[in-house]
Amino acid sequence: MTVETQAPEVLTRARPRSPIVGAEPFFVELDRFQGPLDLLLHLIRAQDIDIFDIPIAGITKQFLAAINKGLDDMQLERAGEFLEMAASLVRIKAQLLLPRPDRLDWEEDPRAELVRRLLEYEHFQDVVHVLQRAEAQRGRHFAKGFIEPRPVSMANRQTLLLTLAELLEAATRIPEPPPPIRVRPPSQTVTVEEKMSLIQRLFEKAKRIPFKRLFGPWGTRAHATAALMAALEMAKQQMVRIEQAAPFAPIWLFSRLPDAADVSEGDDS
Amino acid sequence: MTPQQIVEATLFASQTPLTVAEIARADGDLSAEAVRQAIAELREAYEAEERAFQIYELGDGFQVLTRPEFAPYLERFDSVPRAPYLSAAALETLAIVVYRQPIGRIEVEEVRGVGASSVLRTLVDWELIEVVGRGEGLGRPLLYGTTTRFLDHFGMKGLSELPPPEELPVVLAELQEAFDLGAAGEAHPAEPGSPETAPADDAVEVE
Repeated sequence: MTVETQAPEVLTRARPRSPIVGAEPFFVELDRFQGPLDLLLHLIRAQDIDIFDIPIAGITKQFLAAINKGLDDMQLERAGEFLEMAASLVRIKAQLLLPRPDRLDWEEDPRAELVRRLLEYEHFQDVVHVLQRAEAQRGRHFAKGFIEPRPVSMANRQTLLLTLAELLEAATRIPEPPPPIRVRPPSQTVTVEEKMSLIQRLFEKAKRIPFKRLFGPWGTRAHATAALMAALEMAKQQMVRIEQAAPFAPIWLFSRLPDAADVSEGDDS
Repeated sequence: MTPQQIVEATLFASQTPLTVAEIARADGDLSAEAVRQAIAELREAYEAEERAFQIYELGDGFQVLTRPEFAPYLERFDSVPRAPYLSAAALETLAIVVYRQPIGRIEVEEVRGVGASSVLRTLVDWELIEVVGRGEGLGRPLLYGTTTRFLDHFGMKGLSELPPPEELPVVLAELQEAFDLGAAGEAHPAEPGSPETAPADDAVEVE
């Protein structure tokens, strides 16, 4: 978006050039300007024009030339802003050509409002420079957390710096895993049948036996379980009677086997 | 544990500025006055020991930041978790808001000569400005003002750190003059020359 009015000569924004208006060659990049006020101010300041005595005709010509080509590429809203300024410039120029009273007050100068806006805009450009300096200065101070923590997954993203031979060589250095430990469940040491025959054998010597005797000497859970199962099984088959005087009192087994019936003490058939 | 150490631990652990009241919450016995004193002592100690950091006052809070001379070293790291530098449009809008607050969108646009709705929205998103009220005019327009984050972004304690309008360079003097001329409506003895010569020049140009 470069506009050339006459011979090509580049003008940078802040560098003042010849104070002659109208016949000046211009290169203006519209992109660099915030808006019409910015552009107008540039045209005035770059040529050392007295802002209180703006030669409106010359400036209007330059302004129109500057926006002329750029307008096509501009967004509608932005183009409208530049065109609005162009319109007011032309209006001011026309007003200046009208016949006027002998003595012209500054207040009646059609340029007054434009000058006020330009000066106000320039005033805020100074504030912008103050803010810019403050921002740059603040940018040189860093708070905790400025440097990001190292990403954990960094190692995974590293490219492999190994040859295949090196990889295989490293693989051979991995020790053989130790043979798995085989855990064999403890074999069943006693069966319900064994306990039943034990009960029968004991009944050959006595008519009643303490339940604890059936597993007491072995003391394992398996023996206790087998003994209980055997006792219950024989009770079911009417071969024994189980008695316990009170909760947690010793349990007794009484024989109900036929061959022992005659010697049973306190039989309650 | 001295109050100074507690304040130091609190400031060290924080990634954002902390107010005196916030720091004082660290310990029941810590008064605002003690916090202020501890900060002053710590600042002196850091200065004397030439530490790479210092406690800075940003808005109404305090924060431990590196000294500016270490920026070249830190800038070698890629990470930039702070706000990037603002665009020309954003700075221009902020300049107007900070001196004219509370101010509505229309007034900002009048000064800039261009639309300002999107840049205002962006500045609100970045929490550099906020809606501080509603104007009296048609549709009760939103009025904007600057925030604490604004002060943080520009490294200021308060708005008083900005130059007062009358201390801004020559341009403002010219502006004041123009206002006086416009408002008085009377020809100043020294001035009448310039407005009168100008139209003459123009006429020559046109013809």
